[in-house]
Amino acid sequence: MANYGGWVGKTLRVDLSNGNISIENTLEKYKDYLGGTGIGYKVLWDEVPAGTQPFDPVNRIVFGVGPLAGTGAPCNGRTAITTLWPTCWPKSLVASGHMGGNFAAELKYAGFDAIIIYGKADQPVWLCILDGKAEIRDARNLWGEGIRRTSMEISRQMGPRASVAAIGQAGENLVPMSVVINSHSHSAGGVGSVMGSKNLKAIGVLGTGSIRIAGNKEEWEKAVNYHLSLLGANNQHVVPDSPQKWSEYYGPTRWVASPGRRWGAASSSIDTGSCDPHNLNRIAYRTNNAAFFLGERAWKYTVRGNGCSSCPIRCHTILKVPSVSSKYGIPEIGQNTCVGMLFGRNFFRSFPDGPKGETSIEACMVGMSLADDLGIWDNYGQMQRDFQELYYSGILKEKVGSKEFKSYSWDEYEKGSPNFLFKLLRGIALKRDELTTALGMGTGYHLERWGIPEKDWQERPELSYWKMGHPRHHSSEEAGQTGVIINTQYNRDSQCHSHTNFIRNGLPLHVQKQIAVDIWGSTDAIDAMSAYSPMNVYKAKMAKWSILRKELHDSLSICNWMGPWIASPLKEHNYKGDDSVESLLYSLATGNPKSREELDKDSERIFVLHRALTIRDMQTSDMRTKHDTVPKWIFKDQAGKPPFSSGSSAMDPDDIKLAMDMFYSEMGWDLETGAPRTETYQKLGLQDVADVFDRNGLAVG
Amino acid sequence: MTKKNDGDILKRNGPSVHSSNPCFSRREFLFMGGIIFTAATASQCWSSGNSSLIIIEQANGLVVGDPSKCVGCRRCELACSEFNDGKASPVISRIKISRNLNPWISNPGVKQFGPGTFGNGLVIQDLCKQCPHPVPCANACPHNAIVLAPNTKARVVDSAKCVGCKICQRACPWDMISFDPDTNRATKCFLCNGNPKCVAACPAEALKYVPWCDLTKIERPRISPNTFISPSKASTCIECH
Ligand code: SF4
Ligand code: SF4
Ligand code: SF4
Repeated sequence: MANYGGWVGKTLRVDLSNGNISIENTLEKYKDYLGGTGIGYKVLWDEVPAGTQPFDPVNRIVFGVGPLAGTGAPCNGRTAITTLWPTCWPKSLVASGHMGGNFAAELKYAGFDAIIIYGKADQPVWLCILDGKAEIRDARNLWGEGIRRTSMEISRQMGPRASVAAIGQAGENLVPMSVVINSHSHSAGGVGSVMGSKNLKAIGVLGTGSIRIAGNKEEWEKAVNYHLSLLGANNQHVVPDSPQKWSEYYGPTRWVASPGRRWGAASSSIDTGSCDPHNLNRIAYRTNNAAFFLGERAWKYTVRGNGCSSCPIRCHTILKVPSVSSKYGIPEIGQNTCVGMLFGRNFFRSFPDGPKGETSIEACMVGMSLADDLGIWDNYGQMQRDFQELYYSGILKEKVGSKEFKSYSWDEYEKGSPNFLFKLLRGIALKRDELTTALGMGTGYHLERWGIPEKDWQERPELSYWKMGHPRHHSSEEAGQTGVIINTQYNRDSQCHSHTNFIRNGLPLHVQKQIAVDIWGSTDAIDAMSAYSPMNVYKAKMAKWSILRKELHDSLSICNWMGPWIASPLKEHNYKGDDSVESLLYSLATGNPKSREELDKDSERIFVLHRALTIRDMQTSDMRTKHDTVPKWIFKDQAGKPPFSSGSSAMDPDDIKLAMDMFYSEMGWDLETGAPRTETYQKLGLQDVADVFDRNGLAVG
Repeated sequence: MTKKNDGDILKRNGPSVHSSNPCFSRREFLFMGGIIFTAATASQCWSSGNSSLIIIEQANGLVVGDPSKCVGCRRCELACSEFNDGKASPVISRIKISRNLNPWISNPGVKQFGPGTFGNGLVIQDLCKQCPHPVPCANACPHNAIVLAPNTKARVVDSAKCVGCKICQRACPWDMISFDPDTNRATKCFLCNGNPKCVAACPAEALKYVPWCDLTKIERPRISPNTFISPSKASTCIECH
């Protein structure tokens, strides 16, 4: 086997039932699947029989990273964790969660591209991975501890550079809505309980190894700097949110730096200043997601941006709010991004001092402190939306019984007091009563437990619920039919950012349309947000491209919350980015040159394998009506405007049918069922899938 | 003339290029030191005959970090190891971030709320001070492998002379000598021959390449160093002291 760079070449296999640890060659087995989710899906296909439940010992949990993880390629910090998803309703199916932080890089330095874990330890253990070796260690004295303390204890044993991925009490107690977290607060949703079911408290990794860059080092330096030159702010927003001297445009983006906006809680306050895109030494100041999500007030509490290894964007803002320590008894420092940051705030409908006042920030601090220690997941904000709806509709009171209902301080809740969160969140992690047990199950199982039909949730746009227990994630409200198609394809929220990062990048529509011509073949691929045109084939091409890029990023270990980089902040390039930057970096790092098209084919193989797993485990090839469904609310506009009128985000049912037709035909899938055909599997090198489906009657000709 | 000589030493100091030139003679050393050194000879020490060389000259510059700006991205470490050595390896990086990312958690010497991600958020960049005479790492080296780079006057490891004994590693009070397990050689900050890669790579303007100043009196040591002086060097010391 050729000596590739990028990959470190070994995959760790751990059977917790008998303590067997073995090492296999990553490239011999998984090279066609790149890494990350690619390895994850492949392992689930090969090793987890249909009908397996998430907490069965035979279920695999695969921590996969790719050839770019741990290198200097920008934004490569994400570990993909693939397993049978415990909140996927009504039946668990394959899905993946993604955590940032330093774990991905450290795993590579420790000599591994992936960890495949199965079985069940007979008592709590943690996995110690140190420079090419692994050891199962006793975790009985860590069981019951929160994530922060667990991380500290393990770091004390392994050394300060160790990266520890741990579950909290929620994962231990098999609460499906639980996370694994590394590097203080970088979480992957949904998988905490799968670790808990295996009695696996944590994984500590530490390595002194290196990742070889196969290509010439000067060329690599050039490629990395080239990629950096295309970067915008978080979500690849390429124009600033306020007028700047250097900028032609501005818009509602995450590029929030500006003279006068300061990291007020830095040890000496720092002005984010002018961040001319040509100055690569100021990229880290462009983004402040606390300010983006919490408002102007967050600037004064900002210590700095934090984030994943190798990423200059720093979307994970560190806040210091001294008052919370005396008021709530929690650390005055907290950090997170996006829904992780909003975890506590989103439970409340209102606060005494308004939606972006002091109390809302305190609620964020309390929420982060609790959720990231207990290890609770919020399913992209669905848990909080469900909670509010169930409370204010009176259903909650009816379902939990009056004794339990009275045990909560609803006065406090309605007034917007962050104190309310302590009892609620601890309760979720401990499954303390009916309310918290139900919330911890995830929307699908929760609704079923309380006898609420799923369709009730699917009619309400404000609940943002999509299907199978999970919410929309950048669907029709941003990207019309393209967003809808993408949201039909996964077994949890779709987590795809390829489309939204382009649509919301802040550039005016006419500039975006010029780029759209290059990438998808026509200006018609995109519309202005909420001013949609009827479906056309270019939107289907964009949907396919978006999904394949997501899988590519998840497999190479580059961040799909940042990529792709088809637009840039560079006026002199007409704001164009580069559709091939992934192939450039992949080829140089690994020494295995692959064009953009070849990598697209790899990602298609990976995505189609995900599709095959879904078909196999659902025991039906009728994806179209059984899986790729849409909620009714997408056909309604909140102001009652008809589809395709300006300001309307409503979709049209027949048009969405057409959208699915066009998408299936772009993928080369069967139009009637939406299943890949035998020849599609063969073309992608998935003959074994074709054979299995041939035998069990799931093949579609 | 100086140029030609620079090229030579730069090659030698390149992190993975081994030199065929076994050692500096006194004549070469004087030559490299050039005018400044010659002018300084009256009050400085150096070795004579075949005994060891002592670094007397100060470096021209050094890299300094501003912890309040550091966002802990490790891009500097990756730039240092990838662009100089062709591999991503925080352990051989001559700027040290990773070991300070997590704070007090595993450092029993630091109480309560120290720096780092689990602490107050500060990330302290550890950098080579390009120490003044007596240079702890260079003086400790029994093989005279830590020498002066002509351009920058950085203290650098001559990989042709280094035998990988790690004695220098124990001598640096700031724990700034890296060891490359692939080459079995020590390596340390060589200021990238005057264009520090780490400074260029930092996305937060948290590193600067500045004219040399003496930080050795200001910054607390990270470890208790072995104050080892190789016997051959000690004999040179006697010439002046
Ligand atoms: S490695 Fe240490 S002893 Fe040597 S010059 Fe640098 S700081 Fe001084
Ligand atoms: S100046 Fe060069 S050798 Fe020194 S730490 Fe920076 S990148 Fe590394
Ligand atoms: S590149 Fe700059 S901000 Fe990033 S770790 Fe190094 S010094 Fe800190």
